[in-house]
Amino acid sequence: MNPDIAQRILSQATLDASGPFLALALGVLVLVFLELLPALAALRQIVFLGSLAAAAWAATRTLFGPEIAAFEGTYVANSTTSWWALLFVASALIAWIFGRRYYRDEARFEGEHDILLLTAASGMVLMAGSRDLLVFFVGLETLSVPLYALSGFRRARRESVEAGLKYFVLGAFAAAIYLMGAALLYAGTGTIALAGFQERSELLETPLALTGLALIAASLFFKISVFPFHLWVPDVYQGAPSPVTTFMATGTKAAAFAFLLPLSFALPPESAGLVAAIALITMAAGNLGALVQTDMKRLLAYSGVAHAGTMLLALAGMHADPESGGASQAVLFYMAAYTFTAGGAFGLLTMLETQGGRPVTIDGLRGLARQRPGVAAALALFMLSLGGIPATGGFLGKYLVFSVAVRADMIAAAVVGVLISVVALGYYLRIIVAMYMQPEDATRPVPAESRPLSSAMALACAAMVLVLGVLPGWFLANVR
Amino acid sequence: MSVPSEHLFVLAAVLFAIGAAGFFLRRNLIVVLMCVELMLNAANLSFLAASRMHALAAGSPGLSLEGPTFAIFVIVVAAIEAAVGLALVIALYRNRQTVSLDALTDLKD
Repeated sequence: MNPDIAQRILSQATLDASGPFLALALGVLVLVFLELLPALAALRQIVFLGSLAAAAWAATRTLFGPEIAAFEGTYVANSTTSWWALLFVASALIAWIFGRRYYRDEARFEGEHDILLLTAASGMVLMAGSRDLLVFFVGLETLSVPLYALSGFRRARRESVEAGLKYFVLGAFAAAIYLMGAALLYAGTGTIALAGFQERSELLETPLALTGLALIAASLFFKISVFPFHLWVPDVYQGAPSPVTTFMATGTKAAAFAFLLPLSFALPPESAGLVAAIALITMAAGNLGALVQTDMKRLLAYSGVAHAGTMLLALAGMHADPESGGASQAVLFYMAAYTFTAGGAFGLLTMLETQGGRPVTIDGLRGLARQRPGVAAALALFMLSLGGIPATGGFLGKYLVFSVAVRADMIAAAVVGVLISVVALGYYLRIIVAMYMQPEDATRPVPAESRPLSSAMALACAAMVLVLGVLPGWFLANVR
Repeated sequence: MSVPSEHLFVLAAVLFAIGAAGFFLRRNLIVVLMCVELMLNAANLSFLAASRMHALAAGSPGLSLEGPTFAIFVIVVAAIEAAVGLALVIALYRNRQTVSLDALTDLKD
């Protein structure tokens, strides 16, 4: 190799920028190696946690520094991408901890499970830092393909395989749409780098480039589960193993938003109204869908669709927002609050499912406050945060998003959005009522079993939800 | 330089449309997978055509590099997707003795 090129690629700056990704990728390789020798299986958990810790440490190194561009500007590390990376690490950790002892028939394949989980996390990091359509695509597939496999991980179970296949078929279609969009955008502008689009912004107005952008937006909307591409979400979230659902609900959405934000400058300003309309329809579709559900995972899946719609509203207001970085900050904060809230809620459902041996329904939660007061209190807190009650992280996230919309002069959209969010309280409160005010079903006791790790994780999630809700100042001051 | 770039783009669009139509109309999962492959290759063709078009416009011989690079990555990813997809299809067959999309009805509202 030409020594000049080698020096440019293998510099200290490159190492700093790609640190989180390298830590996760190295962890994957070591885990694969450990699978070769059964005697090394005991090291698996240490390597997994060590890899996550190393990624988090590497991310904090670029948290406050200037932006570092690596690999000829196709990948960057700055404050925002570092926060995203930390969020992905948290998301993987939550899913992993709650997934302990979840798999019974598949227990001997837990090595594979951890490898796939870590690979998906590395793909998320790659997506958030990419500033180039090709690097993003590689990250997207590094995230998606392990998730297809993870969704179908309980391969002896009908619903798990069905979820995996549904996710795979639609995901592969979305990937094809994305590629066609990227090809058209490349044909129209002659570049695949985001910086290149900015330089040649006049070329983005050509029909070819606009079609390409629309296709790319459609495939990203599929990933963040926005109307009309949200129909797969309830099925996949319900059928997939619960720890995997925990990870999908929190991580995938975050990673797609992390790229959508820097890409959104390329969308023509006239599209803001359309995006706002899609956001509101998504909120309505998600909340109305959730109202009639009885299965908890399905209900939270629909609720996740509604939350994706809310975040999309910030994206719609981005163009006209006079406060630069306001939308990006709002989405990041919203996503952080959502990760801990939904992560904790799905995690508790995972725990209850493991202990009860059957899917958790609203009826199954009746009287939980008497049997398991701690679990019920935490679940109630998560529901209040999802519903956007003040003093929780969920409230502040909603406040930030709606203020972006108001600053961008989309007051009508903000008002409708707030009203739709109020409807959502209907089903969140139904869960709390079931836990606290309805008698338990004596024929279906919830067996109590000591799960110190999961309990500690639920407590940590609850603490984060409260901290983000009550003391957001530090976070808001440091996130740009 | 006998073939105009427009022809290549039209061919790619037609292939993409055939793949998308098959994706929605066919029920056999293997055929659906083949349709996705067709769409991916239509995208590849567009990348190469665009690359050639930009190189011709710049007056340089050969291709501009982004297109072929993207296509190579797509080929790799297509292989990975096929591997995981076929594995899931096998798991479905073991569950239900069918590979039809119509069998996926356990999860619904």
